[in-house]
Amino acid sequence: MEAIIKMADINKEFKVLKRREGIRGSIRDLFSRDYQILKAVNDVTIDIMPGEMVGYLGPNGAGKSTTIKMMTGVLEPTSGEILVNGRVPYENRTRNAQDIGVVFGQRSQLWWALPVIESFRILKEIYQISDRDFKDNLEYYDALVGASELYHKPVRQMSLGQRTLCDILAAFLHNPSIVFMDEPTIGLDVSMKSKIRELVGRLNKEKGTTIILTTHDMGDVDALCKRIVIIDKGRMIYDNDIEHLRSYFGAYRTIQIQFDRHAEDLDNEVLQQQALEVEAWLRSEFAGSESIAVSMEENWIQILINEEEVHMMDVVNCIQKQRQIADMNLQEISTERVIRKIYEGGIV
Amino acid sequence: MSNGNKPGASLKRYAAVLRGSIMEALSFRASTFLRIAGNLIYLLIIYFLWRAIFDSSPVDTVNGMSFYDTMIYLVLAAAMFNFMDTFVVYRIGDDYQTGQIVLYLTRPIEYQPFLFFSRLGNCVISFFVTFMPTFLIVYFVTKGSIALGINLLFFVVSILLAIGVNFCIDFFVGIICFYTQSVWGVNIMKEVVVSLLSGATIPLAFFPEVFRKIVDVLPFQAIYHIPLHILTDKTMQLPDYMTSLGIQLFWLAVMLGISRLFWKGSVKGLTVNGG
Repeated sequence: MEAIIKMADINKEFKVLKRREGIRGSIRDLFSRDYQILKAVNDVTIDIMPGEMVGYLGPNGAGKSTTIKMMTGVLEPTSGEILVNGRVPYENRTRNAQDIGVVFGQRSQLWWALPVIESFRILKEIYQISDRDFKDNLEYYDALVGASELYHKPVRQMSLGQRTLCDILAAFLHNPSIVFMDEPTIGLDVSMKSKIRELVGRLNKEKGTTIILTTHDMGDVDALCKRIVIIDKGRMIYDNDIEHLRSYFGAYRTIQIQFDRHAEDLDNEVLQQQALEVEAWLRSEFAGSESIAVSMEENWIQILINEEEVHMMDVVNCIQKQRQIADMNLQEISTERVIRKIYEGGIV
Repeated sequence: MSNGNKPGASLKRYAAVLRGSIMEALSFRASTFLRIAGNLIYLLIIYFLWRAIFDSSPVDTVNGMSFYDTMIYLVLAAAMFNFMDTFVVYRIGDDYQTGQIVLYLTRPIEYQPFLFFSRLGNCVISFFVTFMPTFLIVYFVTKGSIALGINLLFFVVSILLAIGVNFCIDFFVGIICFYTQSVWGVNIMKEVVVSLLSGATIPLAFFPEVFRKIVDVLPFQAIYHIPLHILTDKTMQLPDYMTSLGIQLFWLAVMLGISRLFWKGSVKGLTVNGG
């Protein structure tokens, strides 16, 4: 099968003006030709197959949007080859646009003052959707999420969740082969998040649409993506199955402990202090193991360890020697922790 | 359109956008009424201002225009201003600053005509809600000093051309915001220049000879001066109408060309250097 998106050795550089400080600096900036080259994307190579759902992750400013903009044809790469649906997107922006859909969680393409069905009708003309496809999709959407209840509601009266839902449906209306989603669940409550995830998952499966999902919410990734691509400082640092990533970190465990029966009554500062103490004990006991990380979450002191370096029981014993543990929990490492470790340490 | 669609497809696209924008304009009733009220206050001000100017003059006609002529001209100019100003500069500046413009670039529709038709609905509604009533009031108050004949037909054509020229100038100015990163100042600048040089605030007949010559070679007169002239000047003959429309058509072509070139160049800049 031919890849639907092919990116080979893609680089993107931006020319930015070097800014000086203060008012005098600002005035000198007006006449300055002192540009700096910023590498936003550095030698990225990705092949995406039709029907895939890929989680595209990376810290803020890593180059995610830049990559997406190149795939949609909005940005032209500085060098490298890119093909989307067999076409060079920036040379065929309008043609490419016909076959892709875009959802930005923080923006809307719906008409603010109009009932959402009117926005859909305008999209029908813009994308020249046939009457039949249009009708089929509306019925499908209704069966999927009961969308017909929303069709006659003006967008400005909608909740953020309803609006996001409609924006997603709008992006699939013309049966695009690829849909790009940028943080579709941003700002949504828990139940709406899961509803959106279910919707996106079904659209991917039932319509066979290729989806590139950019997100900071690991819940989205866990629920939807089999494959993840991680980019940091413009470089691709991971591209593989999410299972592979978890097994890579399979030796990692999180130990949660509490020293007091009623830790929830304690001040945050007290807990913070306890966490620092625990860290100090472990640092002196297991000086060689880099992977130990102590943090706080809710009322728990969390200790992340790599069992290939230290044994869990040794860690617990070490702490127990210093102070009586009142309660304890053991957890597999979450995707969230894995990703955070990658962002922070570049372990892969 | 570069994507080889069947003919008429683009037209249907923009018809749908226009339809949406008319519905949108209709849903903002309060703002329409506020604009009418604001317009009335403006009219009171110009009434007293020009009353004072004519009272201090020893003759009844100044620069070939009587007080009535001047008032008719300015009242209609104000009404036109109300439906011509569709905040295109703000829209472009906003789309640019919020990054919404990226969303438009990922759709199989061109931004400039899309923006035009998505603002045109406002013009259409304002034409009926503010211009028509004002026109009728002026007509009845001045007891028929505006001729109702072939001039109305030419006026409608002229108005459409004026909307086009005005939009292209707005669009051009809007793109300047890509470079200045500020919208407000650019827009104020544009409004002052356009409303003065187009004859919207002072009839062009009052301009000094030299100034008048400069204005004659600028596109702005095509927005207010020419349509109002066609509507109110009873001495115009068929060739005069044709000349006036010809001038407008010329400026429309020129401004459309310039604004499209500027847009193409700026989008190129966007795609090469990001937003």
